[in-house]
Amino acid sequence: MPIQGVRTVTTARNGVGAFILQCKQLDFHYCDWAGSSRGMVSYLKHQLPAFAKANPQIEIRVSPRPNKHPVIRGLFINGREKVICVRNLEPGAIIKKVNLLKEASGEKLKRTTKPVTSINESVRGIWSPYHGGIKSV
Amino acid sequence: MKRLQLQRWSGSVLSAQARTGGRLQQRLYYAIRHQSTASPAAPAGNDQLVKKQPQAPSISSPHSQKSRYRLPSPPVEAARESAKLAALHARLYLPSRLPLETLARSLVHPSADPNPNFNNESLATLGHDLLTYYASEHLICSYPRLPLTVIFAAMYAYVGPKTLAAMAREWGVESVAAPGGEVDPGYLQFQRLAPGTDVNPETITGTERPHDDEPTWRKSVTSRVVYDNEYGDPVKGPVDPSELAERDAQTSQGVTVEEANASFVSAVMGSIYLHAGRPAAKRFFEQHFLSRHLNISDLFNFSQPARDLARLCARENFEAPVARIVSETGRKSRSPVFVVGIYSGQDKLGEGAGASLLEAHFRAAVAALKGWYLYNPLDVRVPSSMEEEGAAPWKPVHVDLGEVIV
Amino acid sequence: MASCLVASKRPLLALPFFLSSPCESVVLDLRRNQSSYRRTTQRLRVKPDASFGSSLIHTQEDHIIHNPPSSAPSVYLTPSKFLPSNDVRKNLRTAPANSNNSEELPPVVRAPSEKKYHLTPSDIREIRRLRATDPMTWSRLKLAKRFECSPMFISLVCETSPQKKEIQKRVLEAVQSRWGSKRRMAREDRQLRREAWGRDQ
Repeated sequence: MPIQGVRTVTTARNGVGAFILQCKQLDFHYCDWAGSSRGMVSYLKHQLPAFAKANPQIEIRVSPRPNKHPVIRGLFINGREKVICVRNLEPGAIIKKVNLLKEASGEKLKRTTKPVTSINESVRGIWSPYHGGIKSV
Repeated sequence: MKRLQLQRWSGSVLSAQARTGGRLQQRLYYAIRHQSTASPAAPAGNDQLVKKQPQAPSISSPHSQKSRYRLPSPPVEAARESAKLAALHARLYLPSRLPLETLARSLVHPSADPNPNFNNESLATLGHDLLTYYASEHLICSYPRLPLTVIFAAMYAYVGPKTLAAMAREWGVESVAAPGGEVDPGYLQFQRLAPGTDVNPETITGTERPHDDEPTWRKSVTSRVVYDNEYGDPVKGPVDPSELAERDAQTSQGVTVEEANASFVSAVMGSIYLHAGRPAAKRFFEQHFLSRHLNISDLFNFSQPARDLARLCARENFEAPVARIVSETGRKSRSPVFVVGIYSGQDKLGEGAGASLLEAHFRAAVAALKGWYLYNPLDVRVPSSMEEEGAAPWKPVHVDLGEVIV
Repeated sequence: MASCLVASKRPLLALPFFLSSPCESVVLDLRRNQSSYRRTTQRLRVKPDASFGSSLIHTQEDHIIHNPPSSAPSVYLTPSKFLPSNDVRKNLRTAPANSNNSEELPPVVRAPSEKKYHLTPSDIREIRRLRATDPMTWSRLKLAKRFECSPMFISLVCETSPQKKEIQKRVLEAVQSRWGSKRRMAREDRQLRREAWGRDQ
């Protein structure tokens, strides 16, 4: 057989065609009694319905957790989760935390040192000393 | 395609719950779920089939919570209550005409619910055909000279089960531990394989290929178009209904996660086609499948490229290929580098670098052959683009002689 | 030279203080080094490459700057010889290709051998007879030398006996059994590298 095909799998490029939001679930835990949950309860009553309507792709679960500080838990498509404690926070600050979870990719935070990260080949190829206009010195 | 007709079809998909008869003729008498007390009588003279039929309990009212434990898969009404399902629908930007009930049905693999009215088998079959059609027309029109084995590999890369399973994972689809009627319909329902089961059976027998019991005989590439599937794998021939029951008994023992996930992705494609029509299905394919990255030049594996190139040049009436040393360094050192170019007459066909003249020549021939096979015409249009409204008249695409036969 | 210049530029300031003994040492200190800033910038000021189109012909007209990358060409760039005749790119690229002469082409790796086509059917019958009667003496190489053809042609014409194949296999096994782990691994690695050539890795 002169040529054989090598079986591989295509790699996803999220956002090139369709964009899949990486946050798939947000769990809101609150306490009815404790004062540290006051902001959280107010957020759940007033701001959360609008957030849920604006982001239908996120599954939202609200459940009480008595005698504990309020917590927001985000579950991501890559299987990781991020948990933020929002004790004593005002609803305005909680909105920021929820947005942070929504926009996160779920990966661990990394420092990016290179300006561009790409799986595409370089347009001008990899430099080689044996190509291009070789000048005689 | 008229939209009205589509809606009528999609209605039949939705109303399947109400009917007791099978959609597929061959499965008519097999696996009937007794939804009502007045179930159709099983035909006489089919004792064996009736015996194998699982004893489905008759359900008085499907709405009660308790009765859900008896169902093999979640009932249709549960789809509206599931937050997971709605989130998945929104996450994939599925058209609003595709109801949650169909999405819930596409999440049920036949191994969880053998009834064809409630599982995704028909949707997955339709979706699989659409996926392979769109992928193959894209490949053949944009790379008309690809050899058949590479087309098989590229098809596998674009719409093969591994890719589909990876896509389902990237869409955030979770699968159940065990299927059942009480489970949230937002989970993928399938029966898992028992631990220790051999996933890869050694050879598939019972194909349509003559002499398929001779493993050492040569299988020509051309015959793989006829007998094998779109990935170049052998497939089983058509089975008669009595064997179908046996096959179903096998699938009810469980399937791999990969297979269940792949069937879900195909079923989503099929349901988009049914509910939202052809343009939406094609857009979905372009956004989710074609946008993925694949370097086709990595799919080649040559064994004798210099010989193939000589045959190619002879076939196309070019001058015979000659290898020439473009540049070199360190010939007598431990790590020399040679750059060899392959020339046909005055034109350079390809070049490669290597640590020996043999390697550089080999790589140069590979580069030249890839240059031939990876020819990409300008302004590629696929046949399915003619289905759009107001499409320009069709111009024939480039058709090549085919790969080099040695 | 530099010190003289400095001295002449500021006679009024420098002379009253440095007329006395320390004058020699100051002159030595003021001598500038060879790698001065201006010299290095002058050296780095290289003229633009000829391919950037600064030649006299193109000074007035609009022209395309062609500066090919110094890298191996991509396989996705189809050679113009391989383009079908109805492709637009074929006509665009033909012009520079014609300017080359055969003298400018690099040297060949191995001169292509002339095919003679001198063997007659009787010769081929003779080859088959020799190989069948005495396969141990009449190996492919010996037959090729005697009939002045390639060993490849011999293998096309006839096949050796199964006994010879068996013996050769045993000889190979005996040789390989004497290999140590290093040599065996080196041979296996070489084989793997050779397989990687075909996948272009």
